[in-house]
Amino acid sequence: MLERRYNILTGEWVIVSAFTQQRPTNPTAECPLCVGGAEFSEPYDLCSFDNRFPSLRIDAPEVISDDELYAKERAQGKCEVVVYTIEHESAMSLMPVHQIEKLIKMWADRYLELSTLPFVKYVFIFENRGAQVGATLPHPHGQLYAFPFIPKRIEAKLTAQARYFDEHGNCALCDVVKREIRNGERIVYENESFIALVPFYARWPYEVHVYPKRHVSSIVELNNEERHLLSKTLKVVTMKYDLLFQQAFPYMMMLFQAPVNDIRYWHAFHFHIEFNPVKRDKDKIKWMASVETGTWAFINPKIPEEAARELRAVEVLK
Amino acid sequence: MSTFFANINELNEFDVFKRAGYRIVEGGEILVRVERIHLGYLFRTFVKGVIQDVVLFEFQRPAEIFVNNWQSWGPARVVGKDFPFSFPIELRKKFGYSASIMPEVYFDNLISDYFMGSDKFLIGALSSRIGHPYLLIDPETVKVKLNLFGRHFADWTEVEKFVVLKGEIDWLLPYYADLVAKENGVELKAKNFVGWSSWYQYFLDFDYQKMMADLDKSKCLGYQVFQIDDGWERDIGDWEPNEKFPALTRIASDIRSYGYVPGIWLAPFSVSETSSISKNHSDWLVKDENGNPKVAYQNWNKNIYALDTTNPEAKEWLRTLFLNLKDAGFGYFKIDFLFAGAIQGKRHDNCTPVEAYIQGLKIIREAVGDSFVLGCGAPLWPSIGFVDGMRIGADTAPFWDPNGPDIGYPNAYYALRNVFTRWFMNGVLWWNDPDCLLLRCEDTQLNDSQRQLYAFTSLLLDNILVQSDNLSYKIDHDLWKRIMTIRSYGKRMVNLKGLMDGQYEITSAGVDGVHKLLVKDLKIPTFRIELDEERVKLVKKIEKRSDGRTFNYYEEREKLE
Ligand SMILES: [Zn+2]
Ligand SMILES: [Zn+2]
Repeated sequence: MLERRYNILTGEWVIVSAFTQQRPTNPTAECPLCVGGAEFSEPYDLCSFDNRFPSLRIDAPEVISDDELYAKERAQGKCEVVVYTIEHESAMSLMPVHQIEKLIKMWADRYLELSTLPFVKYVFIFENRGAQVGATLPHPHGQLYAFPFIPKRIEAKLTAQARYFDEHGNCALCDVVKREIRNGERIVYENESFIALVPFYARWPYEVHVYPKRHVSSIVELNNEERHLLSKTLKVVTMKYDLLFQQAFPYMMMLFQAPVNDIRYWHAFHFHIEFNPVKRDKDKIKWMASVETGTWAFINPKIPEEAARELRAVEVLK
Repeated sequence: MSTFFANINELNEFDVFKRAGYRIVEGGEILVRVERIHLGYLFRTFVKGVIQDVVLFEFQRPAEIFVNNWQSWGPARVVGKDFPFSFPIELRKKFGYSASIMPEVYFDNLISDYFMGSDKFLIGALSSRIGHPYLLIDPETVKVKLNLFGRHFADWTEVEKFVVLKGEIDWLLPYYADLVAKENGVELKAKNFVGWSSWYQYFLDFDYQKMMADLDKSKCLGYQVFQIDDGWERDIGDWEPNEKFPALTRIASDIRSYGYVPGIWLAPFSVSETSSISKNHSDWLVKDENGNPKVAYQNWNKNIYALDTTNPEAKEWLRTLFLNLKDAGFGYFKIDFLFAGAIQGKRHDNCTPVEAYIQGLKIIREAVGDSFVLGCGAPLWPSIGFVDGMRIGADTAPFWDPNGPDIGYPNAYYALRNVFTRWFMNGVLWWNDPDCLLLRCEDTQLNDSQRQLYAFTSLLLDNILVQSDNLSYKIDHDLWKRIMTIRSYGKRMVNLKGLMDGQYEITSAGVDGVHKLLVKDLKIPTFRIELDEERVKLVKKIEKRSDGRTFNYYEEREKLE
């Protein structure tokens, strides 16, 4: 079964994608993303391809429903696997900046291409790294979902930022960037175009956000020099993560760009990247448990300013 | 109580409700409800009874304002208080209905159709489906008006919504366009294409031999559409090939054999006095008070009448016309002089001219299915949702004349001015057609910089790109190659700054980077193009696997070479 169902109690859409259950949870066979594996027979550089087990599909089955209480719709969209490199033993922290720059370009192209599908409303690009966040493959890759609706947390971001704009006449994140540069204590890394920081409102210990200093609503609007500086920023942040506890650091990395096929948020929505790491210490995990899942309220056991100090202190070779 | 607001920026929902909320007008009643929305207010209007041309509210006029004409060709421009509005008297009879849906008001007043802006605010209608929303502007005040042309509403009916938005005009415009798109349920399925058209080279002096000669020379230029323009038909209204062309199926299959979508021009709501419809079916035409066919405009040295798109027989004729053109093999329709379908007059149905026009467009859209429809000479807001592309300026021309009249007459300068001022409609309401690129270096008065500015503006704004040249001439192929290279990267995200002061600054973001175009003075023109050089070149290859999945490969170019 593949459809999306409306939760009348929360206003959320839930995707029912029954065959995701058959997905191998711990594949023991050789890597499908390496040449000679299940997906590639020839060498490649980077590739973004349709997931074998998509939760959203362009040709999703038609859904007929006129039930007011239990509304459902087609799960029309796209799920892609975004492969960063042919090198199996790599990671964003190990890849050359040049390769990350190519990745950013690929992200920009995916965002633009998927935005030409009129039913796509949101393009969500992300990476789960490490078994602790459910990544089943070590080969460096991320994913993307092209949603036919605006997911709930995105909606919350749009609403909050639009409200701030109405009250102050300018973008909230532009103001945050100004404040953080002035204040400095939460900044982990900074270059001409980006800041990486542990935000004032961090939900996770060691949470890091990457903000462009200039107002842009998507990676597409970054010029080539800025894309280069973003690659550098991503490289530095992930290196700091790995060096913090001297281990491959598990995280969820998520790109928040403005909705597609809807330019109403261009002025109010500021593109940013969130790293949500699950480690609270070298051997301790912060789980998404009842409070976080049930109420969306987070209790952060780490003072953000302290986390920033630790991450800032980690030396990386630039 | 007065519906006047001294300062539009201090407008609030309570005052509006108190002062404009409910009114009895001549013939009926009006109710205006106001809601707060992001960046401003939404005005919802409900009417009952027989409603003419009503004022919803009025406010104090700012000095410099951005005003818009209702139609493709009409000016969208910034005017000050000393703006001398003039439309040559001798042209009023010939082209009065082209200039306005309400020529009786237009020639003696400053009017902005659908929306108007100032540096810090924008007011606009979200649709024109029943009435004609507009702003009536005098030196001191702006009246927000909705013309319902005396239509009768038996019950309370919601009519056109307006928004008042506060902020910088340059980003309010795209925001407003998206509100309009959402209100009209626009889903842009078609893509902005690249093509060729016969008009700006041959005008009416076009024939089958010329078409074949240019088809032969067109290989490798990257066209997707090849469109024959005016000159192929027997008469305006008799949409059959004249002696200069073979059968339509032949024309279409010849074009298709070169790999292009065959495109054809016609003026479906226009009927010349000499056509067989005028002779045999005068009941299909829009009439004046005395029951005589009304002259919509004069062109081709003829009186042109308007098709009554509410007349059942005329509707059937219109449907058949497009079904046949589609059957003949055409997949692209440039439908022109559409304003004729929206002139005031007597029709079969008792409806507003806007409703009549929409009935006509709906028939065309249904008949051609997914084929590309380009509106031209078209009322803008009533066409939303029915056309894939829209001409948004005057006809271009092989000359550049900043001193010519700004009344929608052919002129590359004014054509391009509108390409800037109506940029925000592109990719949201439809694909903007900036009109053709004339890239020939002979048989033209355009110089290199005018040619380059026109091409790069159209490209960087991500508009439709159509060339109109005799391909046997010396063509600026280098320019075409440069713009086609950038076009090959696909969709762009665009914004424009400087609308109010005319120093336009385009920012055009794509996979290849963020290019800029800065216009210092459009009249000369003086401008600068800043192309963002790529640090990494990626080649994209798309592979369709046998299991139906798509693989998008990205490979660094250096490695391939
Ligand atoms: Zn691998
Ligand atoms: Zn911002």
